[in-house]
Amino acid sequence: MAIGQFNLANRQRAARKLLITVAEWKEGTNTVREILGTRTEDSSIEYNADIETMTDIRGINYTDVNRTQPQQTFDPYLILGGSRLGAFLNDVRRRNAVTELNDFTIYIITAFVGTAGAYEAEKHDGCTIAYTAIGGDANVNMPIDVYLSNDGLDSNGKSTGAPIIGTVDKLSDDFVFSATTVG
Amino acid sequence: MSVDKNKAVINYLLQCQDIYNSPLYFNLIDATNNTIQILTTTEDKALSKPFVDGSVQKRYTFNLITFKSISDMELVKPMGTSISTDEYPNENVDELFAVQQLLDWVLEQDDLANYPDFGSDCIIDSIDTTTDYPRFDGINTEITPPLAMYSISIVIEYLDISKVIYNKQ
Repeated sequence: MAIGQFNLANRQRAARKLLITVAEWKEGTNTVREILGTRTEDSSIEYNADIETMTDIRGINYTDVNRTQPQQTFDPYLILGGSRLGAFLNDVRRRNAVTELNDFTIYIITAFVGTAGAYEAEKHDGCTIAYTAIGGDANVNMPIDVYLSNDGLDSNGKSTGAPIIGTVDKLSDDFVFSATTVG
Repeated sequence: MSVDKNKAVINYLLQCQDIYNSPLYFNLIDATNNTIQILTTTEDKALSKPFVDGSVQKRYTFNLITFKSISDMELVKPMGTSISTDEYPNENVDELFAVQQLLDWVLEQDDLANYPDFGSDCIIDSIDTTTDYPRFDGINTEITPPLAMYSISIVIEYLDISKVIYNKQ
């Protein structure tokens, strides 16, 4: 598969808003989505790579990346009117129903790759969103950590062992995700 | 479509009866007793706070300057132990209290979440004053008769979502 090229002018920097994290979950029979990052000043996907380096008797280093455990923190994640995810997490919090935090689908949309109507994205199934605190000073803050699964489900619901690679048709939360490869 | 924030603020301030009933000027002024002047200021862009979704926290600031007639009468000192401000009425004290009520009106609107209408591209977080009491800016002797000037600095914090790449939420 061809490598997607940046849709930016030569040497143009990609605005931070072009990297979008979207949470998707079920509420009853409804599928709900929320784009994360509202009122968050700084947030990055940390890959937490497990790296192993060994040196042979000639002094040459060999480095292996065994795995990554991607994680993204949103702090602050403010309690905001109209936030479906905030309401969902708060409901889980007060019931201490923490097992319900493990069944999110997370989309990472790289809007700086692709074309209008087909922005590159990846879909991780079986992800976890954990709240880490609730409180704050002037406004109520409930920071969250998003743990990406590095796994996807194919059309039969079977684990692919890797995120599903595809595109989204638009950058609002009602996008349609089209898989281009599975596994 | 962008909204003229200055007009939005004027419309908003006219909800206050004391302001509505006073001569109101925008930047330029022909001051008489009880005249109120809206004086726009600028806010350093460095104070704006960008968020990862493309929205930006911004501030709209302005001053309300109220011109009041002055008295050169000495305060009447109360006699005995029963002290009441009613016993020594003084125009300067009363005028400052009137300006204080303007300031209190602004703070009350924040409690009521009653904000100016900056349009659908802005979410207003708060309207606040920078001080708890009006500032006394001195006596303007260039006006005949001279008038006292009291000012209130007002800050409107809002979220500009016009540059958000996705749905406004």
